[in-house]
Formats: sequence, structure tokens, C-alpha cells
Amino acid sequence: MTQLVQALVLGLLIGGVYALMASGLTLIFGVMNIINVAHGALLILVAFVTWKIWSVTGIDPILLSVVMTPLMFGLGWLLYKGVLSRISGSSPGMSVLLTFGIAITIEGVLNVTAGNRFRSATPSYFSESYRVLGISLPKAQVFGCLAAVVVLGLLYVVLSKTWTGRAIRATAQNSSGAALVGIQAAGVAALAFAIGTATTGVGGSILSVLYPFFPASHYDWISRLLGIIVLGGMGSLAGALVGALVLGLAETLTATYGSLQWSTLIFYAVIMLVLLFRPQGLFGSRLRQDVMA
Amino acid sequence: MLTISGVFAGYGGGDVLQGLDLEVPTGAITCIVGPNGAGKSTVLRVVSGLLTPRLGSIDLDGVRLDRLGCAGVLGKGVAQVPQSQALFPQMTIRENVLLGGYTLRRDKQLLTKRYDRVAELIPIVAERSHDKAGNLSGGQRRMVEIARCLMVEPSVLLLDEPSLGLDPMSLTGVSQLVKDANAAGTTVLLVEQNVRLGLSMATHGVVLEGGRVRLEAPAGELMANPEVAELYLGGAPTAGATAGAQLPQPAEPVPGR
Repeated sequence: MTQLVQALVLGLLIGGVYALMASGLTLIFGVMNIINVAHGALLILVAFVTWKIWSVTGIDPILLSVVMTPLMFGLGWLLYKGVLSRISGSSPGMSVLLTFGIAITIEGVLNVTAGNRFRSATPSYFSESYRVLGISLPKAQVFGCLAAVVVLGLLYVVLSKTWTGRAIRATAQNSSGAALVGIQAAGVAALAFAIGTATTGVGGSILSVLYPFFPASHYDWISRLLGIIVLGGMGSLAGALVGALVLGLAETLTATYGSLQWSTLIFYAVIMLVLLFRPQGLFGSRLRQDVMA
Repeated sequence: MLTISGVFAGYGGGDVLQGLDLEVPTGAITCIVGPNGAGKSTVLRVVSGLLTPRLGSIDLDGVRLDRLGCAGVLGKGVAQVPQSQALFPQMTIRENVLLGGYTLRRDKQLLTKRYDRVAELIPIVAERSHDKAGNLSGGQRRMVEIARCLMVEPSVLLLDEPSLGLDPMSLTGVSQLVKDANAAGTTVLLVEQNVRLGLSMATHGVVLEGGRVRLEAPAGELMANPEVAELYLGGAPTAGATAGAQLPQPAEPVPGR
């Protein structure tokens, strides 16, 4: 029984971090129909910068997310204004090509500047755990999950309680309808892309502690994150949260009762099963299709 | 007065509007009719700022609108209900209507006052305020779309095919809303495929063909026009109407072309 609870708690802790990483990806798709394949590469970029600063200064890597987040917000804004706005209105396929180009550029720069070797930030609490009611809670995963919960909470408040958030959601659901109520679509798209990219600031900092990484790790990460948002429903934040928790639980339960090597297979099997019965994903849109006006 | 002068506009495959000149009188309900592809909806899109004209100008009481974009045009009091899918389907009706006042968002008191007034005027806004807009019927969506436009108390309301997909009861409700808005001082410019319905709601009628105005007249006169009746009303002119307007004949083709 303790073993099961341990696996469930660990699964939720990991799932919380995955949710944060996937939230930016699904937000960007929801608002702009952009499948940002560079999201994984941006996470790895942040992980490398965080690792470098930690190794030189000793500043806590997860705490560094306070610096990395605004930096990534700025980079996201520049990327949208300078590159992605040029394919505004094009098909999602075009965005895959363009962002894949960005991803391999980031990978190439990291290969040259940081070397093609595994890295991992190992702060003092790296191998320490809390013990609660016989359950072991690794400190790094607890801190990572707490940071993810704070950021997801902020994201929820911004999107649901502010005019900026309403404008972002309105643009995501109906861009011409949004224009007709006076929302400046181009500005909202840049803001949404910047916010989505800013989440990699926290996600990448956490990643640098929890997972060893090297420049090409982004292929593995973008596969997982795309899997999460397809399972949850493309463009749905609630879907990303649930999809991420499913992945986290699939990993820990499979590792506990089987082998870690099977965990990814189990996750993709869950995706296929869900899509058989709900092609739009768990939280994908399902509204009246019989009304034209 | 909303004045459209020499407007050329299209979607990249040639101009749909071919030098359109049109004056929409203040306080009137003007209905644009015409065959498919005449450019009726395009007229509304260039006025609302969804489409920027390639040439020509649009002004409202002497103020240029044609380079302002949607937000700027809305700021000048011109709001549009498009032909279809104007709402935010995953949001509640309350959120949809409140977003109609997006340009007023810094004045919370005014926004609340306008919302309360619109909810009083259009009961579905209050009755189903927490329902998702995507689950409404066509008629209910039209009502909410108009409610959303009324949040800015527009001086000009643009309506694209308000009858599209509506049952007779919803149609009566929407027609009444348009008439009420007009009675409150809003100028209405509407496009309608259902010519009889459109002209019966309107005070002025415009026949558009090939991206240009072919005829303008008071709506009653237009309904009495034998050619309009033949082409768009399926037969004889409406009984009792005076036959004042005559469709001019298209220009003779230039020999040798």
C-alpha cells in the first residue's frame, strides 16, 4: 500500500512539472495555431544557462527561474515579432517547419558553446528527501512541483480574471470576432507567445535539477509535451494539466510495478486509447456543430 | 452620414468592390441587396475595418475610417455583427457580452451600467448568462451578437445577413431588436439575401451588382420596382407600392472588345 501511495505522490509531483512545461505549448497553439516545436529546445536552452550560472555562482537553480522567466518572456516577444509573425495566418504545418528550424538552431548553438555532453545541476538538496507518514518526498521534486503550481496558478489568474487574459482567450477562440470587439490580434498574439515562452524560464530551471540533459534532449522533451497536449486536447490548459498528471502517474506506476523502460510506451498507449473514444482529446472543444450563425 | 467614396477592395484575387460610391443616411435603416458575389458582405467588412480598401475613402461625419483598423473604427462608434461565428464559443454569454465593451474596460462603472441595460433589453443575456455561447441556437447567438455590439452604444450598426439560419420566431425577435436600436438613434446598414425581409425592415434600399451600386431608392420604391421584383422577389411588385425607381440598363459593351 505504501508503495502505491509513494508511486502516486511521485507521479503527481512529476506531473505538476510536466504540466508547467506543457502549459506554454498549449497556450501558444490555442491562441495562434502555432505548433511550437522549438518549445523543447527553449527548455533545454534555459536548463543550460541555469546550469552554467549555478556552476559558476552557486545560486540555487530553481530560484534562478525568477531571472530566467522575464528573460524568456523577452526572447519570446522578439521571436514572435521578428520571426513567427511572418507566418501569421498560415497553416499549423508552416509553424512546425519554422519552429523546427529555430529548435535545430538552438541545438547547434548549444553544441558549439556548451558541448555535446550530459549536464545536471546538483544543488545541496539534490539527494535529500522529506519523510511524511512513511512516504519519501525528494526535495528537488517538491520544490520543482511547488514552483510549477505557483506559475500555473498565476497563469490561471491572468487568463481568467484579467482583461488581458480574456483578450488572449477570445483571440484563441475566434480571432475575427476578437478584432470586431476592438482586440488588437497582433499584440495579443505576441503577448501570448511571450507568456508561453516565459513558462520555459521556470520549466527549464526545474529541468536542470530533475533531469540530466544535453543539446539534443529537446527531441525527447517536445515528444512528451506534444503527447501531453494531444491527450488533454490541443489548446486546453486544463487538458495540459490532466495530460501531464497522466504521464507522471504512468511513469511512476510503471516504474514501480514493472520497468521504467515501459513507462513511455504505457503513456502513448493511453493516448491512443483516449483518442479512439475522444478524438478531440480529454478537454478538446465539443460544442454544437449544427448551428451556422 | 456614412460616406463610401470610390472604394476598391478585395481578397487578393482581384477587387470585389469596383469603385463603390454609397451614402448611408444618418438615422436610417439601409439594406443592401444583390446577387451572390456582388460584394455585399465586403462593403460591411471595409467599413468595420476587417478589410482595408485598396483605393478610395470611407468617412463618418467627416472623420476618415478606412485606415483605422477594427479597434479604431469601433472607437468611432461603428460596430459589426458578421454573417456567422462571431461569438467566443467556450466563454459564457456574460463574458461574451462584456467583451463587447472591451474598449471601455478601464471604466468599470460604465461597463456595468451598459451590461445591465443590455441585459434588460435582451432577456437571454440575463436568463442564460452562465451558459457557454457555443451551446446556443442560431437565433440565440444572433441576439447575443447584437447584445455584444450594443455594449458600445454604436452610432452605426452593421449587420451581415441577420436572417441567416433563423426560424420565424427568432427572425421576428432579431427584426424587432434592429428596429428598436434604430428607434433609439442608431443608423443601421444591413446586408440581406432575403430581399423581401431586408427591404421590409429598411427605410432605404441599395442594389449592388459587380461591386458597384446599381440603384438606390427608398425601400418601398425598390420593392415596387418591376425588375427588382422579378430578379429578387420572385414575381410581381408588392401591391400598393409605387413604382418610382427604375433599374438603369447596364452600359453597352464596347465594340471590338
